[in-house]
Amino acid sequence: MKKIFYAICLIFMVISCKKTDAKLTKIIAKTIEIDSTIQPSVALKTVISPYKEKLAAKMQKVLSYSSEELNKKDSVRQSLVGNLMADLSIEMVSPLFNKKTNETIDFVMFNYGGIRAIIPKGEVAVERAFKIMPFENELVVVELTGEKIKELISYFINNKKAHPLSKNVQLTIASGNYDLKINNVPFDSKKTYRVLTSDYLQSGGDRMTFFKDPVKLTKLNYKFRDVIIDYFKEVDTLKSTIDNRIIVK
Amino acid sequence: MKRRDFIKQIGGASALTVTGGLMLPSFTSKEKRHITILHTNDTHSHIEPFKANHKRHANKGGVAKRATLIEQVRRENPNTLLLDAGDIFQGTPYFNFFGGALEFKLMSMLKYDVATIGNHDFDNSIDGFYKQLPHAKFDFVSANYDFKNTVLDTHVKPYKIIVKDGIKIGIFGLGVQLDGLVNKKLYKETVYLDPIEVTQDITNELKNEKKCELIICLSHLGYYYKNTPEVISDLNLAKATKNIDLIIGGHTHTFLPKPTIVKNIEDKNMLVNQVGAYGINVGRIDFYFDEKGNKSSTGTTIIV
Repeated sequence: MKKIFYAICLIFMVISCKKTDAKLTKIIAKTIEIDSTIQPSVALKTVISPYKEKLAAKMQKVLSYSSEELNKKDSVRQSLVGNLMADLSIEMVSPLFNKKTNETIDFVMFNYGGIRAIIPKGEVAVERAFKIMPFENELVVVELTGEKIKELISYFINNKKAHPLSKNVQLTIASGNYDLKINNVPFDSKKTYRVLTSDYLQSGGDRMTFFKDPVKLTKLNYKFRDVIIDYFKEVDTLKSTIDNRIIVK
Repeated sequence: MKRRDFIKQIGGASALTVTGGLMLPSFTSKEKRHITILHTNDTHSHIEPFKANHKRHANKGGVAKRATLIEQVRRENPNTLLLDAGDIFQGTPYFNFFGGALEFKLMSMLKYDVATIGNHDFDNSIDGFYKQLPHAKFDFVSANYDFKNTVLDTHVKPYKIIVKDGIKIGIFGLGVQLDGLVNKKLYKETVYLDPIEVTQDITNELKNEKKCELIICLSHLGYYYKNTPEVISDLNLAKATKNIDLIIGGHTHTFLPKPTIVKNIEDKNMLVNQVGAYGINVGRIDFYFDEKGNKSSTGTTIIV
């Protein structure tokens, strides 16, 4: 009796092990959008909730204070928040770069569009840094020939946007020509200059092609957002002004 | 825009019949098998839905809502697989503060079956990814990243075979070239192998040795690069290889209006799909198998 049972089992196993003779006859494909008509799963929400609360606490942590609104209003090709971002970057990164290379950074350039938020008057929390810089861009130092610096300045003049430049630049724009000093020294087209920018712009972002193929590229492995957060931690009250780094005649 | 032209080519006819493909009504329902594939890509730590004031994606996405949808589909067809094509990490402060733990936990609750690795999954370095693996109750596959000299050695397999409703499904992964995209300091000794060569070997193994009846590629290569069309992409891979039924793509955040039907090197139709990013969409592909039917009508009808 047992033997018969085993035999039946064996036959059954052989049959069930047999590869199916299935032929693919039809494929239907579609995309389903997750929209507001779908109710969220309670089980998932329960798991997310403590993370959400912890995150909110971390993001709301106050780091600094701003006595006025530092906005993105373009005045003389500068903005308050843009000037702050450029100036704080060179301040924070210069010591690291000096130590790493024994060289100095000449100035900073970012893109106007890449500064994604203003700094409102009042307390400045961690979240603000995420709003200003939601991307994971890292800072890099690009050594450029004088010719590339000329391209950079032409881009700045012709693009007519308040792309942030650090206060190391003194650029006077007149109709048809310009005067450029870098750290109070007249620009020398035979020299090379070291510019601090983001890896995004260095790779040609916002059509800043002059950053591509530099004489030398130094990656700092320091996220722009982390630079902002570290500065906020160090400084009690944020300050920024529109100054004479750019003069339009 | 080349991509749009390409979509347009197939856009006219929404139902494409392959090699005759006359569908005969089946006489018994037992021989019919039905596999559903659900897929996401580039969810980028988007745990919560987009805010109501978001310009483009207001109220879209959210993992808790995705869970509801997936549960519905699973109730409808228990023979459902849930797959992801990489870049699970990076994009919201959830990643910055918790390192991807929550992403993996939630994907495990959603019962993801298999995922591949995207470039951003290295953002906390290969060690940061490894550290979160205990939270992932699903498998990672990658056939063209050689992890032999890294912490991921033995943790990531080239492919996984899953049998559902008696159908043997082979799923393999492909990753994007890391050099120039990810800092070497992050991916360490990971070696990138040529996706086409790897695919030829793997699909041969899955089809001829392992006898898989359905072969799916989870790719983070990107859909297509119109400015550099020579760069390997899902469309190029699809055309240059055989035996793949479906490429589920990622990386380029391409919101395809519908999956693309591509002729492979043997002139057989197959599908390439990608559903944008951030968990806004879930792709659904239903595969119907039939053991009966007229031997002469061996075609497959693809409806997109």
